[in-house]
Amino acid sequence: MTNEIKPIGMPKWGMEMSEGEINAWHVKVGDQVNIEDDLVDVETAKIVNTVTAADNGIVRAILAQPGETHAVGDLLGVIASVDTSEDDIQAFINSYATNSEVVFIEKAPTMTEVANESSTQVEQNPSNTDTLSGGEDDSNVSASPVARRLAADYGVNLNNIVGTGRHGRVSKRDLEAAVTAAGGRLISSNNSVPNKAQQGDDSDIKATPVARRLAEELGINLLECRASGDRGRVCKADVDAAAAMKNKLPSQVAVVAPTTSSSESQTISSMRKTIAGRLQASKQTAPHYRVHIDAELDNLLTTRKQINDANTDTKVSVNDFIIKACASALIRVPAVNVQFNGEQITHFSDADISVAVAIKDGLITPIIVGANNKGLESISNEMRDLSTRAKLNRLKPEEFQGGSFCISNLGMYGIKQFDAIINPPQGAILAVGTGEQRAVVRNGALAVATVMSLTLSSDHRVIDGAVAAEFMSVLKGFLEQPATMLV
Amino acid sequence: MQQYDLMVVGGGPGGYVAAIRAAQLGFKTALVEKQHLGGVCLNWGCIPTKALLRGADIAHTLKEAEHFGFTIDNISFDINKLVKHSRSVASKLSGGVAYLMQKNNIKVIDGSATVADKCRLDVTHKGVVTQYRSNHIILATGARARNLPNIEIDGDLVWGAREAMTPTALPGSLLVIGGGAIGVEFASLYNDLGTDVTLVEAAERITPAEDAEISSLAERSFKQRGIKVLTNSVVNFVEGAGEQALASIKGPGGEHQLKFDQVILAVGIQGNIEGLGLKSLGVKTEHSFLITDPFGKTNLAGLYAIGDVAGAPWLAHKASHEAIVCVEKIAGIEGIEPLNKDRVPGCTYCRPQIASVGLTEAQAKAAGHSIRVGRSSLSANGKALAINEAEGLVKTIFDAGSGELLGAHMIGPEVTEQIQGFGIAQQLEATEHDLAHTIYAHPTVSESMHESVLDSLGVAIHQ
Repeated sequence: MTNEIKPIGMPKWGMEMSEGEINAWHVKVGDQVNIEDDLVDVETAKIVNTVTAADNGIVRAILAQPGETHAVGDLLGVIASVDTSEDDIQAFINSYATNSEVVFIEKAPTMTEVANESSTQVEQNPSNTDTLSGGEDDSNVSASPVARRLAADYGVNLNNIVGTGRHGRVSKRDLEAAVTAAGGRLISSNNSVPNKAQQGDDSDIKATPVARRLAEELGINLLECRASGDRGRVCKADVDAAAAMKNKLPSQVAVVAPTTSSSESQTISSMRKTIAGRLQASKQTAPHYRVHIDAELDNLLTTRKQINDANTDTKVSVNDFIIKACASALIRVPAVNVQFNGEQITHFSDADISVAVAIKDGLITPIIVGANNKGLESISNEMRDLSTRAKLNRLKPEEFQGGSFCISNLGMYGIKQFDAIINPPQGAILAVGTGEQRAVVRNGALAVATVMSLTLSSDHRVIDGAVAAEFMSVLKGFLEQPATMLV
Repeated sequence: MQQYDLMVVGGGPGGYVAAIRAAQLGFKTALVEKQHLGGVCLNWGCIPTKALLRGADIAHTLKEAEHFGFTIDNISFDINKLVKHSRSVASKLSGGVAYLMQKNNIKVIDGSATVADKCRLDVTHKGVVTQYRSNHIILATGARARNLPNIEIDGDLVWGAREAMTPTALPGSLLVIGGGAIGVEFASLYNDLGTDVTLVEAAERITPAEDAEISSLAERSFKQRGIKVLTNSVVNFVEGAGEQALASIKGPGGEHQLKFDQVILAVGIQGNIEGLGLKSLGVKTEHSFLITDPFGKTNLAGLYAIGDVAGAPWLAHKASHEAIVCVEKIAGIEGIEPLNKDRVPGCTYCRPQIASVGLTEAQAKAAGHSIRVGRSSLSANGKALAINEAEGLVKTIFDAGSGELLGAHMIGPEVTEQIQGFGIAQQLEATEHDLAHTIYAHPTVSESMHESVLDSLGVAIHQ
């Protein structure tokens, strides 16, 4: 490395990235770093990723602290040789601030651009090196770490390389020989290949073959995906999740009122940002109105006790009954069982019921698919599994994306009744309060009954008042006479 | 009512491992323990007995010092110091578990737990009952020594394992009832320390769960050391006779009454299922153990059982493995395989040590395998001869067709440290050829593992 001073800048990892939050530094001032060493983790609205070193040198300054948010192109730190003077470093930092936008912001990469770029860089004759790129997952092929990294750069599948190293291990030499033999051109080791992650080049990201292909088809950059697969690889589910985010498919609904007595300000998490954006959109675009009804639960509670006493391996909750009753009511009043994208109404023949589950820092809505076709026991067991895995962040995208109707139940907190915001593109959401003993008037006399208040929020663009009222009346009937759900 | 995502009852090697794995995965986790974190294994089992057996090793080394040219006079032995060492190791490890609980943010709840209802736990501590709710409750309450109908542990004349590992004086004579792993360890320990030991086993051989060849070598070694081994024998009664115990032992040669200073009862264990409220909830049990599916799930919604209380084999490492499998299954991790009981190694720390994994020769034949057996005697092993411990055998059993390692059985010095080699080979589905082509370091006792594999192929070099 020359005496040049190199900036560590806030990268741009996608079209929509305008800023990033510093998560943690992997290095401290004075550390020696080499090209591609991990420098700092940055969290964006979509991902947490690591900025790696574009040059060798010594970390001479760190200008951004964990928790701070910086715009794309902002100077986060400085790398320089050991003999660069402090004055020079300071001068560089000062001058950088003034022309940073010119110097650093990179053109937003698109998938096609990246693909073109890498093909011109690496392959003189793509059709020739193509012969090296196909094949099965090569993650088990014995190869030196250097060879593996280069293989990713060249887009070479290691299954196609004959290893001559110890135990047939593929060495760097084997790989370069194969690339040359196939007519490809070697990447010069000293040319100024910019940091790939900063360019949006995801070819270095470890991913399963299926995930990589799917990402290409969906136009997803692997840098935007979590890597929850085995051995830290991006797997199919991660690509699905990133695609869902991108397409703004609804998955989370906020029903938690933010209150705080402390004056400390915090940058909100990416999940919170998603919830905030989506629910604001829902409230602004969907004209909400509410209908409210009370249902007596005594019959339901008796039935529940009978079921639970008779089956040791089942623990049916009141909420499980509500899921089943909603499913039955949606089949009876199909006009509520809809999604609306602003132009088209989609009607569903089965009731896929999203159920809001509170998780750390937010909430998620796993789905009981086809609840109308399922018995209480299977709804109950499925719901326990879904809510367990929701809390562990282990739901697959298809388990929380979609749904034709949503239930939010705050009864366990003793909430009597509340309104919920519709989970778009669904047409309605049911807010469930606690079941409590109340005085009711029956045939002119006071009596005591266990009563639950239910509130349906509907999108008036697609569900009219009379339809919502009919749904609630049918739902009340199922809850008060649970045996009628069997018909 | 306090609520957790997952609660574990029992802080032994099943329970605390389950709690840690659950916490790692993101469950809000609590562990209920009524006595000591670490359970029997750390406090009253595996670990403290190994501390005592180290004392026995030293006694044995002192005895053979003369062979190596040392003359040592005036040897004295204070058993209280040895017990003190054993107890201090136990308490140090129990403290280590407490640290792990804290580090993983696991709430440790003192008290006795009862399953009050589905997904409900009542914990009683000093007379106060606290109620908890948890969607997943894992029982890991362990097991304890079993009594015989006619002989019970009284802590005085008849010891259980607990009393046997905290003696205040060395008994002059000792009757050990039960020739399983626990019985032979105590027989070996007390014999090395200088006690006159009689070992009684109802089956036709001691360590009846091991391969028959290993059992017979253990018996031969025990007899050479002066332990009286009575197989096919039962103790009909034990009664007080002054300071001593009078035991009536019935064997092939008739019934004899003999006096002993002390009796140890080690005839198996029973699960700790009492007081958990299982019966009223209809939870299925069999002979004091819970019945579960391969992933630890019981017939009650949200209730699971792992480790000793979920049945044989009653080994700490089996409990820990079941803990991981059970928790990961609950968490919905894909590709979880249930514990394979044929791959659970077993170790017995008598002298010489016994270690095994997989099927015995008889079991392999009974399962219909066509087998190839390899044997290697330690008498041909240079390292074993050098350390004057050349008594032992490595026996390997392969499926003749597939070359799969069906079982490995070892007796000899430190074989408990060597069995992992065969365990790994089994897990990786190594064939006899893989093992034969592996380079074993020389000089080591474990070279006999190699010889045994070569012998199964008929190409042993050193015998």
